[in-house]
Amino acid sequence: MSREWNIVVCVKQVPDADDVSIDPDTGTLNRSDAEAVLNKPDYNAVETALRLKEAVGGTVTAVTMGPPFAKAVLEAAVGLGADDGILLTDRAFGGSDTWPTSLALAASAEELDGDVVICGEESTDSSTGQVPPGIAAHNDWSQLTYVEELEPRPENDELVATRDIEGGHEEVAASLPVVVAVGFGMNEPRVAGLHRKIFSETEFEPEEYSASDLGIEESVGLAASPTSVGGMDTADPVEREREMVDSVDELVDKLQSEGAI
Amino acid sequence: MPGEVDTDEYEDVWVFIEQHESEAAKVSWELLQKGRELADEKGERLVALVMGEDVSHLAEEAIERGADEVLVVEDPIFEPYLPGPYGEQFSELVEERKPDIVLIGGSHTGRDFAGRVAVPTYAGLTADCTELEIEADTHLLLAKRPTFGGDAMATIKCVEHRPQMATVRPGVFDAAEPDPDREGTTTEVEAAVGEENVHSRVLERVVGDITDITDAEVIVAGGFGTEGEFGPIEELADLLGGEVAATREAVEEGWIEAARQVGQTGKTVKPDLYVAAGISGAIQHLEGMNDSQTIVAINDDPNAPIFDDADYGIVGDLFEVLPALTDAIRDEQEGTA
Amino acid sequence: MTERPNFDDYFDAIVVGAGLAGSAAALTMAQQDLEVLLIERGNYPGAKNVFGGTMYTPRIRELTGEGFEDAPVERHLGTKRFGLLSTEDETAMSIKPGQWQESPHNDTYTVLRGNFDEWFADQAIEAGATLITETTVTDLVREGESIVGVETDRPDGTIHAPMVVLAEGGNSLVSEAADLKETDPPEKVAIGVKEVRKYDRETIEERFGLGEDDGAAYHYFGEGACGGGVGGGFIYTNKRTLAIGVAYTISDAIEDDRKPDELLSDFKEHPAVAPLVKGGRVVEYSAKSIPEGGASSVPELAHDGAVIIGDAASLLLNNGIHLEGTNMAVESGYLAGNAIVEAIHAGRTDAAALQSYPEELESSYVMENLQNYDWFSDFAHDEKQFLFQQLPKALTEAELEFFKQDYEPKETHAKRAKNMLLRAAGGWTGAAKKAWKYRKLLS
Ligand SMILES: Cc1cc2nc3c(=O)[nH]c(=O)nc-3n(C[C@H](O)[C@H](O)[C@H](O)COP(=O)(O)OP(=O)(O)OC[C@H]3O[C@@H](n4cnc5c(N)ncnc54)[C@H](O)[C@@H]3O)c2cc1C
Ligand SMILES: Cc1cc2nc3c(=O)[nH]c(=O)nc-3n(C[C@H](O)[C@H](O)[C@H](O)COP(=O)(O)OP(=O)(O)OC[C@H]3O[C@@H](n4cnc5c(N)ncnc54)[C@H](O)[C@@H]3O)c2cc1C
Ligand SMILES: Nc1ncnc2c1ncn2[C@@H]1O[C@H](COP(=O)(O)O)[C@@H](O)[C@H]1O
Repeated sequence: MSREWNIVVCVKQVPDADDVSIDPDTGTLNRSDAEAVLNKPDYNAVETALRLKEAVGGTVTAVTMGPPFAKAVLEAAVGLGADDGILLTDRAFGGSDTWPTSLALAASAEELDGDVVICGEESTDSSTGQVPPGIAAHNDWSQLTYVEELEPRPENDELVATRDIEGGHEEVAASLPVVVAVGFGMNEPRVAGLHRKIFSETEFEPEEYSASDLGIEESVGLAASPTSVGGMDTADPVEREREMVDSVDELVDKLQSEGAI
Repeated sequence: MPGEVDTDEYEDVWVFIEQHESEAAKVSWELLQKGRELADEKGERLVALVMGEDVSHLAEEAIERGADEVLVVEDPIFEPYLPGPYGEQFSELVEERKPDIVLIGGSHTGRDFAGRVAVPTYAGLTADCTELEIEADTHLLLAKRPTFGGDAMATIKCVEHRPQMATVRPGVFDAAEPDPDREGTTTEVEAAVGEENVHSRVLERVVGDITDITDAEVIVAGGFGTEGEFGPIEELADLLGGEVAATREAVEEGWIEAARQVGQTGKTVKPDLYVAAGISGAIQHLEGMNDSQTIVAINDDPNAPIFDDADYGIVGDLFEVLPALTDAIRDEQEGTA
Repeated sequence: MTERPNFDDYFDAIVVGAGLAGSAAALTMAQQDLEVLLIERGNYPGAKNVFGGTMYTPRIRELTGEGFEDAPVERHLGTKRFGLLSTEDETAMSIKPGQWQESPHNDTYTVLRGNFDEWFADQAIEAGATLITETTVTDLVREGESIVGVETDRPDGTIHAPMVVLAEGGNSLVSEAADLKETDPPEKVAIGVKEVRKYDRETIEERFGLGEDDGAAYHYFGEGACGGGVGGGFIYTNKRTLAIGVAYTISDAIEDDRKPDELLSDFKEHPAVAPLVKGGRVVEYSAKSIPEGGASSVPELAHDGAVIIGDAASLLLNNGIHLEGTNMAVESGYLAGNAIVEAIHAGRTDAAALQSYPEELESSYVMENLQNYDWFSDFAHDEKQFLFQQLPKALTEAELEFFKQDYEPKETHAKRAKNMLLRAAGGWTGAAKKAWKYRKLLS
């Protein structure tokens, strides 16, 4: 049976790595004032979602869980072509690790009657890659991670993926509903059209869901998170010589005196 | 939904032995070595978990490499890996046997598996750890990992939930050496998985590239700046008896096989000498090679961040510098020979 | 929501470039309730903007009101120093007026453009303007003679609006391609190369004799600063970084056999400069062209449906003592913004309806200054040997003579020194001519 698909794409806002400034007082890198941008691997996710929609019809809804300013990444997704965006925002979500985060995303995918959930490979700030399989596990849906190519088979309610695995690849057919984590760089994300981008930044307003809207207020946030940060150390930076040499001979001398060659 | 658990009921350190077509992924042996240390420190047992179709030989090897017990679940449903059946079986085992710590390789398969099983078991899962320790007074697992940007290390704990799970990228720890005289027990476990747990099927599988760069003493790596021409990289690597490696960018372009990717989502390497040519020095790349003894960077952009993380830098075109370097080293070697 | 949105003629004005000029214009118009679209090619406003520098802020202060307190400035300028460099020596003058140390600090601050431009654009957004980044305007859209919109490098990238404000900076490709402006000849364009080096705060404060909040601008001229060319070197102090650079005319850059970055590194090695900049770590390196044609290079400012402001309109003063563009960029944006508001309210966008912009600018300090110093560029090129090579050398020789310790009386040394200077200036008549020519520099 063939029908249009409800495609949900999960997008996350992360601090812009290109915009970390030097704290004028401590001299350390300051990320807190770095602008929040769309997680780069999620551009591949949005592109995948839009192409799926172009192939089978349906809608693309972007979902993010985060503070109110995370709205910006929904704007980015809508600018690229997503039909709508949903902001999961609530104090109750604060301090969530990947367990409750994937629960919230799973619950909203359920709420949206999602057929396919598309995620990025990992987020550049927490880089766990755990959220997509987590969403699949919460809903007991199928999962496809490290996807390099995707082919919809709407006639079978199936998605066929080429996955990157150690030392090779495999082709896997998964039944809907399915959660997909696409490999970073798997496609060339499109550029947002000018008018669509203006629309997303001026007129688009996301719908907001709270934890209780999703009926999960008891199962999210810091208290529901199995892991906690037990401490933060400055990594001892590996001491490097940082010596610029002008000639190959000089380099060979240095390496020889170090016994590196 | 599972609530809080009695953490005292949970004991032993488990290692998931990742295998493809009955061959173990090397990261599994690396985890056995670390798992052995952790188990000894806690005074508990090290248990290896082997799932697959024809895998009993792996059980023996796991014992030789340090396991006290190996749980073997043999069934065609487990070949090849699929998250549904693997996840279901693992949840059963955890519920029944209550491991305190579970270590899983940070490979694609390992991460696919870990992310899936952490949810139903309500486990605390920490990704891509680079250090694992046992906290002295509490016996909790301290899972340490670099955080965003790499200049801080976060320690992640899981206090109230069990098991405490962690994934570790290939190459972070040394592999445990086999000792044929070691003894341990093998426990066959009945598969507890049915068709209802299978959401997907593998149509085709092509594996075969088993390149391992993690043990190399010399690595010459190329990035986007090579524009796909790895000739000069290979020549220098050959001369020094080393391995060729690459950035993700170069792998993405299809210039070189994925097994040679160094970095956060690739291999972790620590050779004596790492030569980075045409590589900008993105943090995700640095994370995989920053523990190398000596780092040499060749880049034609004097502002390239890689120079900040190199011992020696040369500003120049890699297609000139690398061949000159190869020649100069060859001359030296012949001169002293 | 799947329909294609269309914003043609939704905005009253499109501003090309979210630099200082563009944001000033956008802010001015948005404050008066026009719908403004600000288009910036960088990731964020200021991402790649290059300047020395010191920012001159009277108009910004007025436009942003209380918000100015949060403006991300580095240090207020407390010290200005001018050094004349021969290849080995320095003769310098330093000023540190008490008044500058107190608020409003002569409205002069060192800033990092990446932070400041973003903040300034934010003020326009808060006032209601819409900012679109990572979008490059590639051309103007015309209907007959009138400019009615812009084309960008995005898909579906053409958008119409009654007014277009060209604030694209010195490298004004769009204005030039649309024939609104001529390309400046190489002797009217300077190239600036600059590096930003990071140090401990204490190091900077010690080396330049600064407190916690005050900063210094050091300007250098002469052969030791930038070879035989017309131009100079500079050091500006930020909180934890120094901006070190040289700027000189392109025609000289072509003549000099050193590349701009080599010139910069020679400047940094000058014995008078090296101790100030040693150590630290480069965190940024950049190069940028600076229009310095002065008043005679300022193009027609108002067109049917468009105005040109800031560096794009060559509104920049660089005469050796002053290197000012930020203040004029903001002033021109402010005046143009007001003119557009007036014209739109009158239901018009033709050049005649926008005349209050060039008129107001003409009677403001902006054109006044540019006209006053218009002679400088030609003059400097005529006199460059004397100004940048002979004079620094003669001065040092005269100083050496004047202060010399030996067995001769001071008066003998003083006389000789005076004669040396006189000879360098071409004898009494030469010196008189020069004095006459140079009087304008200090007027
Ligand atoms: C989630 C995530 C995970 C990632 N994981 C990894 C990972 O595991 N490993 C990894 O490497 N990256 C990873 N990346 C990508 C990483 O962010 C960078 O994009 C990548 O490392 C850049 O590769 P590069 O240095 O080859 O390319 P570029 O950044 O394009 O740099 C090319 C360099 O070559 C220089 N160059 C060009 N021509 C020449 C020449 N002729 N001679 C000398 N120099 C020249 C240039 O100046 C430039 O500095 C990841 C990114 C994300 C978001
Ligand atoms: C080395 C150097 C030192 C200087 N030092 C000083 C100093 O100390 N004090 C001082 O007052 N002035 C100084 N100036 C001059 C000053 O920087 C300029 O006068 C001022 O920045 C002009 O502002 P603007 O808004 O006109 O242009 P810019 O600041 O150049 O802004 C133009 C903006 O337009 C954007 N843009 C350009 N083209 C397009 C396009 N096609 N589409 C979309 N966006 C586009 C650019 O990205 C940029 O954000 C210095 C200049 C240089 C180069
Ligand atoms: N807070 C979030 N909101 C929406 N999507 C998320 C969130 N966190 C993670 N994701 C999705 O999960 C992917 C992997 O993230 P992570 O597991 O954090 O590495 C991301 O690329 C996103 O697609």
